[in-house]
Amino acid sequence: MLQTGNRRPVNQNELCYLTITEAAAGFRRKEYSPVELTGALLKRIESIDAKLHCFITLTAELALRQAKQAEQELRSGKDRGPLHGIPIAVKDLYMTNGIRTTCHSAVLENWLPNFNATTVAKLQDAGAILFGKLGMHEFAFGGPSVDAPFPAVRNPWSTAHIPGGSSSGSAAALAAGLCYGSLGSDTGGSIRTPSSHCGVVGIKPTYGRVSRHGVVPLSWSLDHAGPMARSVEDCAIILQTIAGYDAKDPASADAAVPNFRNGIGHGIKGMRIGVPRVGWFDENLGVDRQTETAFNRALEMLEELGATIIEIDGKPFSHARKANQTILVCEAYAYHEKRLQQAPEKFGSSVRRRILEGAFLSAADYITAQRARAVLNEQIRANFTLVDVFATPSAPRPPEAFATMDPNEQNLRPSFTNPFNLTGLPAISVPCGFTHENLPVGLQIGARSFDETTAFRVAHAYEQATKWHKQRPVL
Amino acid sequence: MVEITLDDLRKMAPRAGLQLADDELQRLLPGVNRSKKQVAELRALIATESEPAATFNAADGK
Repeated sequence: MLQTGNRRPVNQNELCYLTITEAAAGFRRKEYSPVELTGALLKRIESIDAKLHCFITLTAELALRQAKQAEQELRSGKDRGPLHGIPIAVKDLYMTNGIRTTCHSAVLENWLPNFNATTVAKLQDAGAILFGKLGMHEFAFGGPSVDAPFPAVRNPWSTAHIPGGSSSGSAAALAAGLCYGSLGSDTGGSIRTPSSHCGVVGIKPTYGRVSRHGVVPLSWSLDHAGPMARSVEDCAIILQTIAGYDAKDPASADAAVPNFRNGIGHGIKGMRIGVPRVGWFDENLGVDRQTETAFNRALEMLEELGATIIEIDGKPFSHARKANQTILVCEAYAYHEKRLQQAPEKFGSSVRRRILEGAFLSAADYITAQRARAVLNEQIRANFTLVDVFATPSAPRPPEAFATMDPNEQNLRPSFTNPFNLTGLPAISVPCGFTHENLPVGLQIGARSFDETTAFRVAHAYEQATKWHKQRPVL
Repeated sequence: MVEITLDDLRKMAPRAGLQLADDELQRLLPGVNRSKKQVAELRALIATESEPAATFNAADGK
């Protein structure tokens, strides 16, 4: 037990699993301090990260320095808001000034950027503590990086299983109590899938809502930066800090940033929830049975909370994956072309195989996918005359075991995340159950463009009516 | 849709500036054909007048 001055004793592990909201309130009540929280996390990382591999680079000295500064500022009454003094870690594709940014790849193994990503700078302005750089799928694509210079991240719920990707470390570190919030990126589901697989919350905001400046690209027109945390409210707090127009990002939207917590606590009575089941959920192998059971129970809970479930046509959602994947591989190949021509051996086998597909698609193939994107956008968005939000499982199946992982698995089942990258619509993943093997399952809520507030509202109502987000892995 | 063969990839790779061994091309082949099949399916969704989602905007030159 840690005795925090003349305040109440707090268990070290409890400290590591506080939500941002709880930690921020505790700072202001002087129950604990940024230095204490930072110290507790560093000890926990030292004791368990060797088996999880969440961190590629741990910025311990910087974190302790920033924690001391935050502590002094809070004591002297300089309060920078709810992230002041909160340790946050970022996926290792966010550029950090003078701090190694590897993209989990030998290609950038020792790269030191000379500026901060806009999002990182915003977090630091808000007084957040930069805790380190997190493992990922190499260049945010392919599968777990088994032949990269850094080990693949493991799932805290079962180290024999994948944590999902590509923001693997961002989700696993939260589930393991190794940070209080994190940043991920999402081009086809890379925030929501690992959030689902690790039992945490992650939102892919509307395209243009969060600056991508200083985030190493995978596919310019599909890339989204976004937050991950252990609660819906914490996600909203981080998004509040990193959202907003940035002239340095050509895709940045000059849209008003609302208070994302405005809908939280308002319930969902009367809300119309669209489920695009027919023509999508049964695609190829369909949805894993345990996942679908957890999802159906989540729908029952949403109905109990006062929402109406409406079945809608799943076909346009099903087609979205084809357009998303085509655009993604073409843009990813264009970005990496020179490196793949000059030193393909520096890329790991998984990411190299996926990106190289783009070399063999034509300009007409790419434009066809962009034309289909416009058509599918119209068809998917037309549903908003009937429903307020969409609900799906976040992932079609629970996390696979490393030992039996099939690289083609993702093409054998429906992709629930891709349509929201293709349309740019916001979508959040929130824990909605566990399999018999005690592996997490996630519920995805998608909302109208720039209406993250409603996504948070629905996800929060569901979260608070259930206990899934309070479960912790045994480590 | 005509299937792409290993021989096709052997010819296409150097034109793309890539030097790839046969075993690597063999691993790529299923993915390339899956991608081509997906594009063919997308073609069926679009009308002649459908424009791509990404268009140039003269106002800001982007």
